[in-house]
Amino acid sequence: MSRQGNRAGDPRKVNGELFTLTYGALVAQLIKDYENDEQVNKQLDKMGYNMGVRLIEDYLARANTGRCNDFRETADVIAKVAFKMYLGLTPVVSNWSAAGDEFSLLLESNPLTEFVELPPGHSNLNYSNIMCGILRGALEMVQMDVDVRFVQDTLKGDNITEIRLKFIKRLEDAVPVGED
Amino acid sequence: MSSLTGKQKSSNLEKSLGKGKPEVNIATFAVLFSEIVQYSQNRVHTVPELQNKLSELGQHVGSHLLDVLFLREKGYKREIKLLSMLIFIKSTFWKIVFGKEADKLEQANDDDRTYYIIEKEPLVNKFISVPKDKGSLNCAAFTAGIVEAVLNGANFPAKVTVHWHKGTTFMIKFDEDVIARDKMIESR
Amino acid sequence: MTIFNFYLFDRHGTCLYYAEWNRKKQLTMSKEEEFKLMYGMIFSIKSFASRLSPTDMKEGFLNFTTSKYKLHFFETPSGLKFIMNTDLSVGNMKDVLHQIFSSLYVEYVVKNPLCELDQPVTSELFKTKLDEYIRGLPQFPIKATS
Repeated sequence: MSRQGNRAGDPRKVNGELFTLTYGALVAQLIKDYENDEQVNKQLDKMGYNMGVRLIEDYLARANTGRCNDFRETADVIAKVAFKMYLGLTPVVSNWSAAGDEFSLLLESNPLTEFVELPPGHSNLNYSNIMCGILRGALEMVQMDVDVRFVQDTLKGDNITEIRLKFIKRLEDAVPVGED
Repeated sequence: MSSLTGKQKSSNLEKSLGKGKPEVNIATFAVLFSEIVQYSQNRVHTVPELQNKLSELGQHVGSHLLDVLFLREKGYKREIKLLSMLIFIKSTFWKIVFGKEADKLEQANDDDRTYYIIEKEPLVNKFISVPKDKGSLNCAAFTAGIVEAVLNGANFPAKVTVHWHKGTTFMIKFDEDVIARDKMIESR
Repeated sequence: MTIFNFYLFDRHGTCLYYAEWNRKKQLTMSKEEEFKLMYGMIFSIKSFASRLSPTDMKEGFLNFTTSKYKLHFFETPSGLKFIMNTDLSVGNMKDVLHQIFSSLYVEYVVKNPLCELDQPVTSELFKTKLDEYIRGLPQFPIKATS
């Protein structure tokens, strides 16, 4: 049998289906626990934020990149390094605003939504909203206050999934008590 | 399932197991699982309640996982014999889902309904050190839920619980009917 | 060579973890007070150093030496501050502090669902692993005194 080469998998990876279905179990639980889609979206964003806060530390520990010089560099690092590293895909950076403070990430596939169909009666559910939270949380930890939201979603019949990121402001370190 | 195309130039026999879909970084899974544990923890009061909650979520995953696997790997025939089913879980299934076979499969000495799958360090416990005030909490209750749903889905109804023993021990207790049925098959 | 103690602060100035090994002098002030002063001092040195610098300093403040001890500092872009005091014979500890961050803090705290990131670290696993790691360093040995 050709299955003899039963070598152990990469210990730094997990099965994508396990990941997708675990996320699905979470969303199903939230739909049970909350009254409406808006509340579920909010909770997903909040949980994503907490995940982002954790993931960025892992990222900083592994990827030896310094601070980004501008938002364009940030966009590139998110798409080409961070997404690749954590979800195994590379979104396209696009639709820059004239001021260079806003851009979109275009995703052709989305590992969170494989095997997923939106349940009827949940048209306002942003199923993958956790991603917005992750990006917001991770960027906040490196001193960037960024607004993140879905503008298109293949789950809702759009041709592509589009996440919009808007830079708001730089954040500063906390000043110690008793100093200015 | 677009991920199946493209990569599958080699014949079905040659492709390795569990490669139906790109894998994700273990850190991504770890932080997701971490949020799930914290969310569940905030909605219950006791350790057994928390483990139940994690098991329920695991069951949701397990029931879907079974469909996905059978759908994808047409080669898997449904197991009919109890022991073959257990071996399938311990080896093939465990390897696809958790990247390695489970460490051990044992049968209880004193009870023909009870089996144990032993895993020194289950994937979900890899990063967890349980604080003293939560002494007995074992987050692999989630994994137990997955196994339970897979067994139920394959028509081997059982209850699966976790215990801190040799790492983590999953105790599988089958329904009486399953054992009776298996004895009939054996004697045929 | 020896290592005296170790502090880990988050970006809000909360002391997430403290440990000591061959620390000889205990202060009369409380640990809370000591943490506050330590964070304040690091904060001031950092901001003053960067204000003095004519160009953007990539790493900025790394360590300082007094006649009795050397303080080593490493900060992540997310504002975690790793601080270690050693005796004067110890060289650059940046790699050691980075290692504590990447192999211990990230693995045993960040990925542990039972650890809250903005609270002091209570994980026994982190505590044990850090202690093992520090005691195994070539910079650690000092004759055991009873």
